[in-house]
Amino acid sequence: MDLPIYYTRAEYIETDTGNKVSRRATISGPQNIILGGKTIIASGAIIRGDLRRTGPGHAVVISLGRYCLIGEGCVMRPPYKTYRGNFNYYPMKIGDHVHIGANSIVEAATIGNHVEIGKNCIIGKFTIIKDCAKIADNTVIPPNTVVPALALFAGSPGRFIEDLPESTPEMVEAQTKQYYTRFQPLPAER
Amino acid sequence: MAPKIEYYCPCLSESPHPPPPNLPSSSYSFHPLHNLFFCEECDAVRCNRCVLVEVSGYYCPNCLFEVPSASVRAEKNRCARNCFLCPNCRNTLTVVPSDPPENVDSRTSPIVSTTLGEPPFFLYCNHCRWDSAEVGITFEKPTGLAAQLQKFEDSAPESLEFERLKEHFEPFLRASSSSSTLPSASSHHVHTNPITAAASSALARDIPGVGKYNPLSRSRVGRDKAAHRQEYPDYKSRVEIGSAAALSGEADVEFLRHLETVSEVAALEQRWTNSWVSPLPASDLKPLRIPLQSKKSKRCPSCRHILIKPEQKAQSVRFKIKLVAANYLPAIAVTLPHAQAAIEMLKRTSKSASAAAQAEEQQAAGALIAGHSYSFHLAFTNPLYDPIQIRLAKALAPVQTAEGDAAAEAAERARRSTFQIQLPSAAFPVGAFAEAWEYDDEDEDMFLDDDGMEIVEARGKKGKDGRGKTRSVGIVEKRANVTIVSGEVLIPKEARGDVRFNMLVSYTYRSDDPEPSEEAGVGTPSRSHGTNKAPEMKNFSFYTVVDLGPIMYREEPKLTADL
Repeated sequence: MDLPIYYTRAEYIETDTGNKVSRRATISGPQNIILGGKTIIASGAIIRGDLRRTGPGHAVVISLGRYCLIGEGCVMRPPYKTYRGNFNYYPMKIGDHVHIGANSIVEAATIGNHVEIGKNCIIGKFTIIKDCAKIADNTVIPPNTVVPALALFAGSPGRFIEDLPESTPEMVEAQTKQYYTRFQPLPAER
Repeated sequence: MAPKIEYYCPCLSESPHPPPPNLPSSSYSFHPLHNLFFCEECDAVRCNRCVLVEVSGYYCPNCLFEVPSASVRAEKNRCARNCFLCPNCRNTLTVVPSDPPENVDSRTSPIVSTTLGEPPFFLYCNHCRWDSAEVGITFEKPTGLAAQLQKFEDSAPESLEFERLKEHFEPFLRASSSSSTLPSASSHHVHTNPITAAASSALARDIPGVGKYNPLSRSRVGRDKAAHRQEYPDYKSRVEIGSAAALSGEADVEFLRHLETVSEVAALEQRWTNSWVSPLPASDLKPLRIPLQSKKSKRCPSCRHILIKPEQKAQSVRFKIKLVAANYLPAIAVTLPHAQAAIEMLKRTSKSASAAAQAEEQQAAGALIAGHSYSFHLAFTNPLYDPIQIRLAKALAPVQTAEGDAAAEAAERARRSTFQIQLPSAAFPVGAFAEAWEYDDEDEDMFLDDDGMEIVEARGKKGKDGRGKTRSVGIVEKRANVTIVSGEVLIPKEARGDVRFNMLVSYTYRSDDPEPSEEAGVGTPSRSHGTNKAPEMKNFSFYTVVDLGPIMYREEPKLTADL
C-alpha cells in the first residue's frame, strides 16, 4: 500500500466539498473559479481566475472537476485571442480526475476526464485534450492542438506516441482517488 | 526504482511456464496487468502481442471527424478536411488570413473586417513558424483546402504512374481473381492471392530466371506463363525512367554542391512519411495532410471472440465489450516496507534538501544490500464479487522440460544461488469486491482514515522487529477486498543483479456457470455472475514476475569483480 502524503494542517484550507487549497497558492479572481470537490491545489500554483471575458455579468473562467490535482508551481491561465478585432479571454474547462504535474503551464481550452499531464509541460492556448489522454513529462503542446482520446503525447512539439490501454479510465480514476486519500494532514507531532 | 510486478502472457512460447526472469528477452512475455485482456471462452490471459486487431473505424486525430471507410481509400488514408501537418516539425498547421493591407489602419473602425480575414490564406505552424507561403501555397478560400492540396498530390508524376499501373493490372487482377477460383484453385493456392500471383507472374515473364524462385512448382509456373502470356500487354510507363532519374539527379547534385547549412536538406524524418518522392531541399517541403488514425477492436487469437469492441463514436472512451484482465485477476502491488519506512524518515528529517538529492537518498534508503534479508509485502486486490483463496508458489523454470538449453539452466542456477525467496505457503483469503466501497461519500473517508492508521501501525510493528530478527511470512493485514501478505528475501553476500523472481499465483473462485460456452453474453464479465446456482469452485493460475530492484553493495565492493 502506498504511503500517505502528509502536509501540515496549517498550510491547506479544506472546503466543505473536500477541496484542499494551499495557502501558498495564488488564486486570482476566486469568484470566477469552480472546483468540483476533492480537488487539490498545491502550494505555489497560480490560477488566474481574474482573466475573465469582458462583458457584464458573472463569468466562469476556470472550472475544475472532482479529484483533480494542480501540482506545485503550476500556472493555469485561460486562453486568449483577438477575434474580430476584440481581444478576449476564453474560459478553461477541466474534467474530473485530471492530474497536472508540477511546474506545468496550462492554457488549454478544454481538458477531458481522466487526463494526466506530466511535470514541466507547456499546454498551449486553445488546446483541446480529450478523455483519458496522457501528456508525458516535459512535453510542449503548441497552441490549437487537439489531443485525441486515449493517446499518449510527448516531445516538443508534442506528438502522438502510442495508444493507451483500454483500462486507462479505471486506472486513472483509482489513482486519483487514491492520491486524494493519501493526501492528508500530518498527524500531531510525535 | 520502485519494486514492481508484471503478469505473464504465454503467447510467445509453447510451454505454459514463464521464461527465467533474468533473461533480457523475457521482458517481452511480461506485461503490466492493465495492458492484458482476458478471454472468458478460453479462460486465458491475452496480451496486445497476441490478440487479433481489426479496424473498427477511422478518424482524423486533429478534427476528430469520423471518416467512413468508403472514403478512406479515395482520400488516401489522410484527412480530407482542413488538417495539415507542418513539414518541418509535424505540428498541426492553422489556416491564417493574410495581414490586412497597410491602409487598414487608417480606417475608422477595425471591426469592419470580416470573420474570414483577407483573401490569400495560408497555412501557418504555431511551433516552428513555417508557413505555406514559403513554398508558394496560398488559398483563395479558407475551406476545402485538402481537396486543393490533394490535387497537387494526385498530379505528382509518381502518383500518376501508380494510377496507371493500377489501371494496367486491373483487368488482370479481375481475371486472376476469378480464375483462381476455377480448377487451378488447388492446394497450392493457399498462399497466393491474386495480387501476388499477378506480381510474381509478371516478374517471371520480364526477368528470366526469376520463375525458379517461385514457391509453386516450376512446371506449373511455366504452364501458367504460357497460358496467360498473351493476355497482358506490355506496360508502357508514362515517363522514361532513365531520363527522369537523370533530370532530378543532376539538379540534386547541383543543389548539394551549393549547400551552405545542413538544414537546407530535408531530414529523413521529414521525407519518409510522404507517399511519393519528396524534394530534397527543405525549403520545398509541402504541408502534409494528416494521416488518419483508427479505433481498433481486438479478438482472442484462438477462439476469435471479441475482447475489445469500441463504441462507434471516435472520441468515446467507453467500450461495448471490454474484457480486461484487471476485472478477472487479482491486482498485486509489491512494496518494500523497509524502503518506505526509510523514505518516511527522510521526509521528516530532510525537508530542505533539493528534490534530486532527496530522490537519490530515497533510492539509497530503499536499496537491497547484499548480505541482508528483507521482507516484502504483496497486496492482493480482488476484483470479483466473490471472495477468493490465493495460493502462492515460487515458479520453477522448466529446466527439465522440452528445450532446457544450457543458458537457461545456467541462468536458473545463478538465480537460485543469488537469493532465496520465502513466500507464504498456505492459502489465504481475499474478501469480495463490493461496489459500496467505491462510493465516495463521507463514510469512505472515515473508513480509509482507519486504514491509514492500520497501515501505520503495521509498519511500526515491522520497524520494531528490527534488522536480522525473524520476520513473519504470512498475512500482514486483511481488509475489504485487499489482503496483504509478506514474504522474505534473503540475499547472500555474493549476490548480484536484480532481485527478480517468477511467482505462480493460483486462486480459487466460485464459478456459477460450469459451462461458460453456453452463456449467451460474451460481454458479461464474471463480476456479474448470478448467485442462484450451486457454487462451484474453480481454479485459475497465472505467472507473474516480481522485481524488487537491484542488489546494492555497501561493503566489500571487490566481490563484484569475480563472477
